[in-house]
Amino acid sequence: MTRRADAAAVPTAIAVGYDGSPDAAAALRWAAALATRTGAELRVVHAVGLLEHAGMAGGPARDAALAVAAEAGADEARVTWRRVDGEPASVLVREAEDGADLLVVGSRGFWAHPGVLGSTSLELAERAPVPVVIVPRREQP
Amino acid sequence: MLIMAGPVGETVHDGGPHPERPARITAVLQGIGDLRLGTDLVTVDPLPASRADLARVHSERYLDELEAFAQRGGGSLDPDTYVTPSSWDAACDAAGAGLAAVHALRERGEGVGFAVARPPGHHAERGRGMGFCLVNNVAVTAASLLAEGERVLVVDWDVHHGNGTQEIFWDEPDLLYVSTHQWPLYPGTGRPQEVGGEGAIGSTVNVPVPPGATGDVLRLALDEVAAPAVGAFRPDWVLVSCGFDAHRADPLAELALSSADFADLARAVAEFAPGPGRTVLFLEGGYDMTAVRRSTAATVAALLGDLASPEQPTFGGPGADAVRAVAGLRERAMAEVHDRTDGGSLDAPVTGPAGAPSERRPW
Repeated sequence: MTRRADAAAVPTAIAVGYDGSPDAAAALRWAAALATRTGAELRVVHAVGLLEHAGMAGGPARDAALAVAAEAGADEARVTWRRVDGEPASVLVREAEDGADLLVVGSRGFWAHPGVLGSTSLELAERAPVPVVIVPRREQP
Repeated sequence: MLIMAGPVGETVHDGGPHPERPARITAVLQGIGDLRLGTDLVTVDPLPASRADLARVHSERYLDELEAFAQRGGGSLDPDTYVTPSSWDAACDAAGAGLAAVHALRERGEGVGFAVARPPGHHAERGRGMGFCLVNNVAVTAASLLAEGERVLVVDWDVHHGNGTQEIFWDEPDLLYVSTHQWPLYPGTGRPQEVGGEGAIGSTVNVPVPPGATGDVLRLALDEVAAPAVGAFRPDWVLVSCGFDAHRADPLAELALSSADFADLARAVAEFAPGPGRTVLFLEGGYDMTAVRRSTAATVAALLGDLASPEQPTFGGPGADAVRAVAGLRERAMAEVHDRTDGGSLDAPVTGPAGAPSERRPW
């Protein structure tokens, strides 16, 4: 039984994981389209790893992410960009604890886990306290 | 006497321009060398951890995938974590170092063990590697000890929370996991309300501290939060996830410790051991080579009863209030359980800052 599993089918706050990969962009487009239809708040969340925290690796640009959301029709006033230190699944779980009632991720990020799914989607499928949508790269809203 | 298991990883598992690199082992060896221990230094050559050793803490599927991934030439598991063709063997050797240290300590009945080995381990979870870590070295040794009926304390003073160790032993009442770490920071776990799973509530102790925290703050965490828990737990073994990346010179984080502070932490942790020959250090992080060298020397010297640090202890950074809040939180929760069960002890459920009870793995 997950927390808020009985929540209304219409989300009020959607958190989408974004690492700049094509799959993440597809997930962001899907989430933005859903947010547009439902009027939900849209949080674009980037998890900052060890190297990026130290400035030893780059991360996705805020403006590029927000442009993807805008192209999908998202209301700029309802979109926020969050850059949070942590491993992606943990960061998204914390977003859920902070009020997000739907999590959205791409099926694989830049960094392919040796297994079938990207590690973030796999972890969220097991641990998220709210519903999770895993968006395949070619999915269109 | 220092029983050094290794070195492992001084020439292999090399990801090129990456902070988790072979030179870290060289820095540790230099730090040990600086102490001129003579016959008080015993070196043991570890055997690779067996598949059975590894499978106590990792899933068969993950081990298969990791070995195959390395054999195919490797690559990146995530933005931080690389695998090379030599990584599987290096990871097995690194995991074996702790086992070898325990074996040598048992034979001698005295001394302090140090698994001088990389890749590090404490971020590696049961089913995945991450955060520079492939196999959870301290967990492999802890699980081996648990299988023999021993009670194990793991103290993790790496600047990052050891999410892997926490996850692997989340439901294990015979292992007490105590972590001090910078918050917020990767991996995003390690909040005070993460206290252990059903049947092991209270056996995970997290003390996050803010950027800029100094040595006195971490010592306070050990004295006021860890010590009462350890006193009730009464470990047979003390394993230390010994990262040196809380040093003020480290490029990956923002705590403000000096090498002398690690000596202070080591002296505190030594008090947790039930007797001689029951403490093993495991190298975790630490990415400034001078800091690693100095901190290694200071830590080992402290455990052997000596002083060796050109730096002074640090005081006055932020975080003491946060540590006291965690201590108070835990004390109140223990009292609540004592009232409810007329028992007490580590079976105490600890509630989070908002009063929410621990439910399931919350990270």
